[in-house]
Amino acid sequence: MEPQAKRWKGMACDTDSWVAYPVLSDEQSQDVELIEAFAAPIVNKRETSRLVRELNGLYPLNGLQHVKRVRAVKDKVSHHPLEVLLCPVSDAPDAEGVSIETLLPSDAVSPDGLGEPFLVKVPARPPLTRPQFELASQHWPTSFHEDKQVTVALRGELFSPPQKARMHSYMACALAAAKAARELGMEAVGAAVVDPATERIIAVSHDCRGDHPLHHAVMVCIDLVARSQGGGCCSFDRYPACRFTSAASDVIQTAEADAEATPQPYICTGYDLYVTREPCVMCAMALVHSRIGRVFYGSVSADGALGTKFKVHSQKDLNHRFDVYKGVLARQCENLNSAHEHVEGSQDLR
Amino acid sequence: MATGESSDAGPARFGPTEEELGRWMDSAFHVAGDALENGEVPVGCLLVYDDEVVGKGRNEVNESKNATRHAEMVALDQLLAWCRRSGLDVGRVSRRTALYVTVEPCIMCAAALRFLNIPVVVYGCRNERFGGCGSALDVSSADLPQTGTSFQCVSGHRAEEAVEMLKTFYKQENPNGDQKQLCL
Ligand SMILES: [Zn+2]
Ligand SMILES: [Zn+2]
Repeated sequence: MEPQAKRWKGMACDTDSWVAYPVLSDEQSQDVELIEAFAAPIVNKRETSRLVRELNGLYPLNGLQHVKRVRAVKDKVSHHPLEVLLCPVSDAPDAEGVSIETLLPSDAVSPDGLGEPFLVKVPARPPLTRPQFELASQHWPTSFHEDKQVTVALRGELFSPPQKARMHSYMACALAAAKAARELGMEAVGAAVVDPATERIIAVSHDCRGDHPLHHAVMVCIDLVARSQGGGCCSFDRYPACRFTSAASDVIQTAEADAEATPQPYICTGYDLYVTREPCVMCAMALVHSRIGRVFYGSVSADGALGTKFKVHSQKDLNHRFDVYKGVLARQCENLNSAHEHVEGSQDLR
Repeated sequence: MATGESSDAGPARFGPTEEELGRWMDSAFHVAGDALENGEVPVGCLLVYDDEVVGKGRNEVNESKNATRHAEMVALDQLLAWCRRSGLDVGRVSRRTALYVTVEPCIMCAAALRFLNIPVVVYGCRNERFGGCGSALDVSSADLPQTGTSFQCVSGHRAEEAVEMLKTFYKQENPNGDQKQLCL
């Protein structure tokens, strides 16, 4: 690990200037929803296992399997070191005044060893991320099946220095294309599609809205990828900064071996997109249709559909989902649209 | 254009009459039927301006290898070309153009229609999984100030028929024909 990290030290001054954070789904990023439940102190500790067994029978905590039945009370004020969850308020029998008798009306649970019930709040859903877990646990002990990759990604530490150096160079291509678009009087947005398996740049594009209101950088890039595979519906040849690498050289090598066996990839399957600005809803859905692998963007946009207004990449019921990271070369991407860009841009070139 | 001057004066409601709606939807269904007979996704659409078809589309994903070539995108390209040929301003034309399509436009196409400020979309059946006019997302009326203008939807015309055509198409689909496995 150490020597490799040192080898990339030369790039460190650049790649340390930004952090790629994941754009998680609403379920992963929303606040922890709480519901009310009844709990009671266990006054006789020796009754604990019987109480848990009988309560599980009477109130099985359906849908709340992530919530622990018993918690240890750490504060010294309480005389009883353990508390047990009886049931969610919504499951409690209708009765005037809450008591252990009204909550445990049947013989299924003997209230021996239980103190007076009280209200607590418990998380309604299992936590999906470490921040959600930490919040949920402040209310009631909760189990957590940690997705280590998400935890690392949320810390901004998912990508190694060599990976960051490559991401940096791909976004630099998109930035250069964005600047070319601005020179032509079009929106300063650039994009690049990369095959991460071969580390090859498949296509680079910029906004071409001067000719056509729908030729956003992402739409142009998708068409250039199609052209690299022998398709495409438009020519962007008049823009030198819009270019693609023909897949022909690869195809020749593999065509004879498995021409029939492996059909063409579904357009952008397995490819990564780097784009200077968060895509709009049209472009975001175009990426779903194209089965893009991952998307990396620099700056957010007001109507953005990969985090700001919508999260099309994690939309329920769509046939394809993908991971999105934002913040790659964030400062340079943000500066593309600001008045000071020319000054900043020249500083970058020093 | 005869209506050019007065239309700029105020937001006079723009929309097709019942007769126009039925007539143009018949044409859109005709395009969809043609596509079905040729083994293509049975979705057809028309863009109509001033009682003239200025764009007509069916899905072209397979031939272009570009998954964004939905019928609506093809028709919008034709609208732009028509304006260029006719020497007319795209903005002026598209603000008085209606889209007739057999199936609810997807999220992408709904956004594209907003960018072109198309005011009215008439569609047959809902597109449950991908629809951008309320079924999957409500792009048509969402508050998106940088994404053109919201549009009005008129839905349900010959809806069962549109669904039947889609069912027929997916039944015909050979399970190995991944290339044609499309999302509308
Ligand atoms: Zn866009
Ligand atoms: Zn569509």
